[in-house]
Amino acid sequence: MKFYVCIKMVPDVNAPIQIKDGKFIQDADRMILNAYDASAVEEALVLSEKHDGEVEVVCIGPSKASETIRKALAMGADKATHILTTGDTKYDSGTYAQILAKFFTDKEFEVLALGKQSQDTDAGLTGSMVAELLHLPYATNAVGLEVEDENLIVKRQGDFGQEIIELPTPCVVTCSNDMNEPRIPNLKGIMASKRKPFDQVELSSLGMNENQLIADSAVLSYEEKPERQAGKKFEGDAEDIAREVAQLLDNEANVI
Amino acid sequence: MSTILTHIAIADGKIKRSSLEVLSHCKKLADKNGHSVEAVVISDKASSHIDGIKKYGASKIYVVEDSTFKNHINTPILKALAKVMEKVNPSVFAFASTESTKDILGALAANQGAAVLSDVSSFELTSGGIVGKRPVMAAKIVANSEAKGEKVLVSVRSGSYELAESPAEAEVVNIDFSMDESEIQVTLREIISSTGDAIDLNEAEAIVAAGRGVKDEEGQNLITELADVLKAGIGASRALTESGVYDPSLQIGQTGKVVSPQLYIAVGISGAIQHVAGMANSKVIVAINKDADAPIFDIADYGIVGDLYKVLPPFIEEIKKIKN
Ligand SMILES: Cc1cc2nc3c(=O)[nH]c(=O)nc-3n(C[C@H](O)[C@H](O)[C@H](O)COP(=O)(O)OP(=O)(O)OC[C@H]3O[C@@H](n4cnc5c(N)ncnc54)[C@H](O)[C@@H]3O)c2cc1C
Ligand SMILES: Nc1ncnc2c1ncn2[C@@H]1O[C@H](COP(=O)(O)O)[C@@H](O)[C@H]1O
Repeated sequence: MKFYVCIKMVPDVNAPIQIKDGKFIQDADRMILNAYDASAVEEALVLSEKHDGEVEVVCIGPSKASETIRKALAMGADKATHILTTGDTKYDSGTYAQILAKFFTDKEFEVLALGKQSQDTDAGLTGSMVAELLHLPYATNAVGLEVEDENLIVKRQGDFGQEIIELPTPCVVTCSNDMNEPRIPNLKGIMASKRKPFDQVELSSLGMNENQLIADSAVLSYEEKPERQAGKKFEGDAEDIAREVAQLLDNEANVI
Repeated sequence: MSTILTHIAIADGKIKRSSLEVLSHCKKLADKNGHSVEAVVISDKASSHIDGIKKYGASKIYVVEDSTFKNHINTPILKALAKVMEKVNPSVFAFASTESTKDILGALAANQGAAVLSDVSSFELTSGGIVGKRPVMAAKIVANSEAKGEKVLVSVRSGSYELAESPAEAEVVNIDFSMDESEIQVTLREIISSTGDAIDLNEAEAIVAAGRGVKDEEGQNLITELADVLKAGIGASRALTESGVYDPSLQIGQTGKVVSPQLYIAVGISGAIQHVAGMANSKVIVAINKDADAPIFDIADYGIVGDLYKVLPPFIEEIKKIKN
């Protein structure tokens, strides 16, 4: 079975950030593999071990993104394709989806896995866009995957509980980090990753051109979120402070 | 004049409040800008919701009723939405940001060649589309974003707007729908729902959320008891949904649900940014944590520093007294 996983390099949300004149500033060294994509890679590895498959990761990004790709290879992915961009591009989910769809048009696979969202933007759009552009059946927000005969069985976290969905292959699925605990690459994996097939391709080789890819959404500026003030902190005898706060919730906050 | 279309989501046989919040906002936008506001409801009993929608001022209500829509399955819903969009030709199509919306929004945008902003906390119209505020970086900051195009899709976080009734006599338009089994491709085998008739966290007035500090059954019982006296929904941090103590659908935060109740009580939750991303818009936040330096206290209106096993019993007792 062939699994493709789309992985994205994203800024680490835990690293310090600054906003200056509406621009977002963060240390360029704090880029990581999107957590949801790490879960997608993990799940693909587990399934491919079980079903004698192959896992290839695909990443669109600047040359620095090769570090992110190395991480996925070190986890155990067999191959990688890096679709290079210049780095100052303003792409949104729609443009990434167009590039991915173009890349996958002539590829053969059973399962194309993506993250359910980018950890930095929480957009959550690319997966179903790619599925639609490729005319493939899909499921989003998967918390578990199984392969049964020629089908992918997706456990999806929906609005009303967990849905068990059967998708014929080839199909597209987006993964939640509730699915698994991604493995941490060990030394052996890191060494092995250096010898794995790693293709770098230009957008032009996909018949695309950076100037023609125009995003129809954009961030105009960033701003601090309205800060919540810390309120009152109560310390002391558990029983006393518990009763005091209960009273305040009634008399002061009016929420009981 | 153009049309702002609002999607009305149905949950458990009822209209989801968050989609009426969106309709209320769209009605105001339409009135202000001289546009019309219309609504679409897609469900197995869609026509039974018409009266509920009329209260919020839509001038036309499109009704797609078919047994296929009893449960959420993306292919038929997409087909219906595409059909409605082609008929109505809205400049803006607004959704409440539910899990079902997240499932189809990107695909619908790709299908219709529409621009899209997902999960905004507010939006306004511009000459060529919309601008909206999107919490990003695990909701640490806000991105002022725009989407431009002849058709723009937007999904709105629950609790972003107040409900505003504005009854109007709406024209009801029924839209035929049919789809072959073979066309559907996606098979829904079953839905495992252990939450049953639990309170919808998106709509709950009060939520009691449990974290890793709630270690055992005794702790869980205290959580249940507190939720019962407050008629609150129960939520959980990832620590407890991951370990299987609470149902995954109860997770609150970046991966889980975004909620905005009047009262949020975080019990034994440290306040990691990914959790806070889902609850920072609650009106009143109470934190119970034995670590005085836990980050959750930075955003709590009332912070109780103490062992939850010692704090909760008198807390529950006192609230019971107040309630009586
Ligand atoms: C991409 C991504 C998405 C994520 N999405 C989510 C999400 O949606 N929701 C979410 O919750 N997390 C999410 N997380 C995980 C998040 O980062 C934290 O790991 C998680 O929220 C921690 O849960 P917790 O606060 O219950 O546990 P901990 O951080 O372990 O905190 C437990 C707290 O309990 C207190 N405590 C212990 N015993 C007691 C006692 N007896 N009495 C009182 N207090 C006590 C401790 O002092 C501590 O502060 C996500 C992480 C990532 C990377
Ligand atoms: N530049 C990219 N390269 C590879 N995959 C991407 C890229 N951007 C988005 N994706 C995939 O789409 C998912 C997120 O979609 P979104 O939240 O719309 O940004 C990620 O988890 C990836 O699987």
